Amino acid sequence: MSTDGARDDDRKQPRYQFDRHTPQYRHEFQAITQEMHAQCPIAWSDTHGGHWVAAGNREVFELARSAEYLSNDHDVKNERRGYKGITIPAPDVDFQGGFLEMDPPEQRHYRQTLNPYLSPAAVARWTPVAAELVRACLNEKVETGQIDFVDDLANIVPAVLTLAMMGIPLKSWSIYCEPVHAGVYTPPDSPDMPRVRETQMAMYRDMFAQLAEIRASPRPGLIDALARAEINGKKPDDMELLGVMALLIGGGFDTTTALTAHALEWLSEHPAERDRLSRDRDTLLDPATEEFLRYYTPAPGDGRTIAQDCELAGTRFKEGERLWLSWAMANRDPAVFDNPNEIDLARTGNRHYSFGLGIHRCIGSNMARMVFKQMMTGVLDRMPGYRCDPAGAVHYETIGVIQGMQHLPATFTPGPRIGPGLDETIDAMQRACDEQRLAEPVTVRKGKAKIEL
Amino acid sequence: MKVTVDPERCQGHTLCAMIAPKVFELDEVDGHSSPVSEDVPADQEDKVRQAVQSCPEQAISITRATA
Repeated sequence: MSTDGARDDDRKQPRYQFDRHTPQYRHEFQAITQEMHAQCPIAWSDTHGGHWVAAGNREVFELARSAEYLSNDHDVKNERRGYKGITIPAPDVDFQGGFLEMDPPEQRHYRQTLNPYLSPAAVARWTPVAAELVRACLNEKVETGQIDFVDDLANIVPAVLTLAMMGIPLKSWSIYCEPVHAGVYTPPDSPDMPRVRETQMAMYRDMFAQLAEIRASPRPGLIDALARAEINGKKPDDMELLGVMALLIGGGFDTTTALTAHALEWLSEHPAERDRLSRDRDTLLDPATEEFLRYYTPAPGDGRTIAQDCELAGTRFKEGERLWLSWAMANRDPAVFDNPNEIDLARTGNRHYSFGLGIHRCIGSNMARMVFKQMMTGVLDRMPGYRCDPAGAVHYETIGVIQGMQHLPATFTPGPRIGPGLDETIDAMQRACDEQRLAEPVTVRKGKAKIEL
Repeated sequence: MKVTVDPERCQGHTLCAMIAPKVFELDEVDGHSSPVSEDVPADQEDKVRQAVQSCPEQAISITRATA
């Protein structure tokens, strides 16, 4: 035992005390990242039961793409090897985090089931709906000269659109919105946590009800696809499907909100860059979107479990060890990015890892980009000179799960409403979903949504 | 210039088609990329080089055409 222990100590080098769940990690992110890049692009940390951390761009690339040696499995019923999924430390839950906590072939079968709803061609069909939702959200505030970009825009549009794609009634968005965001930013020991848990339970009850309803009386969308799916030759049980639905909702909501809020905050601090982005949006909005993704990395990393002893990126790993792949730190590596800690809206060669790498690439990446761009252009058009209020901006206390914002108030020169408000628009979008069967897969329905208000 | 996309490496990040939409097309169902044609038009070469550098999976290769 002692020899093994000594040998292990020898192998688990270099060591770095890494805890991404502390406020200190958020405040000192740049310094910690630079230190790890210089000294230990892969390090062993004793925190959270002990785990590896990959911070270097090339190291993260090599590890993330070595799917045969890594497992995403979250074996909640302890039927396989007891692996703990993609969160370090593993949360105390009794269902898997969808296909992001599975390995092939099940993972592949789920993605094949859902890809036709989320591919670039599939997502492009929803652009008019996103544009209407943005217009309507801005309408609610445009005459007042005051808006909270998180509460009044960036929380709402991704939520409503995600529900539309799933086949959940759009007016239910408020059942889903609060628990998803508050579940991320509320510390486990907060006095508010019991209330947040209660809203989460209400959301799960509604998800179950939707699944049952869609099974009994099918309507198109991601839930319908899941209800019909055969995964590796069998029908998944309801708890497994609940995990998949929670993954789609969690992935669809808070991440895009986080990206939008940070981008709007940065542009407020750099008004000349904001004017340039607005003026040159035809060529600049695409690279600027990738740059905000790189710099702010809304989902800052993923955990893995080493599935067999191996040597990768110069480190010997043992089966069962946990590994944190830091997309956020890899995105700041000076070996790959010039001036990595600066935002360059026109950056080229921007091979960021903000949607992950390899077979688990974020399945909602196309949707995230589309919705983000719609929100940005909506604000640039209708509140072009907005100023965020730094005293009112609330960033998530920690960035261990999502690098997000809770509030981002801003003021601007009031302008006129255009068309109906939010409730009326949501009703109109619901009719469009129902009448045009917008949530069909792209294999069934090709055309863009047609909007009539 | 000739261009290929390794289908085993491509994961559908779509950056190549964003940068060089005339050269890369994306599968309707899963968004994975393939070149419209192996031969790159001369006026697209810079964009294709940019796409190579932007691919997170490093799935795109270019070779100089031999005359």
